[in-house]
Amino acid sequence: MAISTVNPGLRRAAKGPRRNLAPLWLLSPAGIVLLAVLVAPIIYLVVTSFTDYDQRTLYTGAYDSVGIANYLSLFTDPDFWWSLIRTVLFTAAMVAGSIVIGTGVSHLLTRLSTVMRYVVTIVLIFAWGMPNVASSLVWKWLFQPGYGVMNWFLTQLHVFGDMTNVDWSNNAFLSYASIWMLIVWQAVPFIALTLYAAETQIPTELKEAVRLDGASEWGVYKTITLTFLKPTLLLVTILSVIWDYNVFNQIWLVSQGGPDDATSTLGVFTFTTAFVGFHLGQGAAISVVTTLILLILTVFYIRNLIRSGEDL
Amino acid sequence: MTTTAPRLSTDEVSDHAPASAPTAVKSTRRRKRPRWISHTIAVVFSIVWIFPVYWMINTAFKPRTEAMTSKPEFYPHHPTLHNFAVAFTQGDFLVYLRNSAIVVSGAVVLSILLGLFAAAALSRFRFRGRRSIMVVILVVQMLPATALLIPQFLIFSQIGLVGTYVGLMLAYVAAVLPFTIWVMRGFFLAIPMEVEEAARMDGASTWQVLTRVLFPLVMPGVIASGVFAFIAAWNDYIVAYTFMQDQSHYTLPVWLASFTTQTSGTDFGGQMAASVLFSLPVVVFFMIIQRNLVSGMSAGAVKG
Repeated sequence: MAISTVNPGLRRAAKGPRRNLAPLWLLSPAGIVLLAVLVAPIIYLVVTSFTDYDQRTLYTGAYDSVGIANYLSLFTDPDFWWSLIRTVLFTAAMVAGSIVIGTGVSHLLTRLSTVMRYVVTIVLIFAWGMPNVASSLVWKWLFQPGYGVMNWFLTQLHVFGDMTNVDWSNNAFLSYASIWMLIVWQAVPFIALTLYAAETQIPTELKEAVRLDGASEWGVYKTITLTFLKPTLLLVTILSVIWDYNVFNQIWLVSQGGPDDATSTLGVFTFTTAFVGFHLGQGAAISVVTTLILLILTVFYIRNLIRSGEDL
Repeated sequence: MTTTAPRLSTDEVSDHAPASAPTAVKSTRRRKRPRWISHTIAVVFSIVWIFPVYWMINTAFKPRTEAMTSKPEFYPHHPTLHNFAVAFTQGDFLVYLRNSAIVVSGAVVLSILLGLFAAAALSRFRFRGRRSIMVVILVVQMLPATALLIPQFLIFSQIGLVGTYVGLMLAYVAAVLPFTIWVMRGFFLAIPMEVEEAARMDGASTWQVLTRVLFPLVMPGVIASGVFAFIAAWNDYIVAYTFMQDQSHYTLPVWLASFTTQTSGTDFGGQMAASVLFSLPVVVFFMIIQRNLVSGMSAGAVKG
């Protein structure tokens, strides 16, 4: 990628007055479409968040500006603060789980024979490739009271007592636990394969040198591997935070935010406010706040991207 | 996206280890942990991680009497295609398939065409505002789907696009185009400038350089980002669920999710068979472009 920064051809192309117009007509089709379907909606979202747009408006088209009333009622609504807290804690739990397991699997891959590595890679791709609507259905089936294979398996362990008829969706903690497993299951492949790609780039001589100094395997991993993996690890972590913060489908399909809103994260809260209660103005305000929080995370991401040498 | 651009093979990750790695491991006599420990962990991990997929397939081929048992059957004793027949006839599978095909193919073609030109501009030319455009592209692809959903729903319902193929298609273009541009840009950047220079020496115009030289070279990128776009649009549930309220306009994911609500959640064989049918094309695509996914999904972040 560094090619483009030092490339004289690029600058020359920009100098010619005739060629100067090329990027304009190349960009404008995509630019116009993105303005219409992406930028305009974002502006409209902000505008809507200052109105009392609701179900009535969908039929009559009438709505009023209410100033910052939506935001005020949002910040005084305990439901909002609870869903924010849930989102933060749940995101942290999911990111921690997937990063720890993903890092482990990545290191595991470096220690396997080619055949075994091939097998693990294929397994990872299956978990990764499953559309999340399908995997959410599979999850409900795995944890089905009475017939779920997970209920049967946990009962066989004789640790948790008889789990056969436990309804996971009826208990806040168990709902989280099953959704957590689902998200981590799908997140580990990307993290493991990305870190593995980075791990294979580490010069072996360095590890050898540290080994000759008498370092243990764990010492080598800590001083050499983790140091080299740090930039990649950081980027993968930030991306995981952004993605997990945005998780909606799996929660919606597995628990619908229940029981009693116990798994209602910001995404679910927005959706139920806007499309179940049809308080679209209020929903827009939640979306704006959600997006602003996300923007902070994205700034971190882009800064790291640039620092890692990406030429924007 | 850096060095890997034109390569599209399934076994890339396993081939990726530098040739020196295995020999280095063998030559070091003081390998502290024997390999069998790693291999045991790998086997256990693989079994755990593949289990949900295996259980989906297993259930899909079981007759109901074997699926709904308190003690699980680990393989179908009397394998049957009955569940697939149910899946096909539950609602109108072929109608939903057609709906998905129309919307997804439209979104893929549109975002590739638009993205190809935009990516060319953002990679082969320097101009003012280019960096800001790249930052905007990065930011918008991080936005939560539920945030865009509200304004798109409102705008589209005012101009009569809610519930139509075109409306859904445009919503998907909005979702995947930034990403498509980003991925294809990476492929453009991998083409050495000399190739372009040579064509210019021979008197090619900008348009000719693009269509005769650059576009053919960037074809692997077109395929990779096309597959990304396909997967994103094919998998989408929330936008289609909100936009397509008329059941005859359901896409496959909406239909699949409706299994849980409509059939009172009891026909798990049918659900799993439907899940298999729905997941199959995506998993196949993942196998094809797996190496590009690793580098592409981190948006060119990870230097491979």
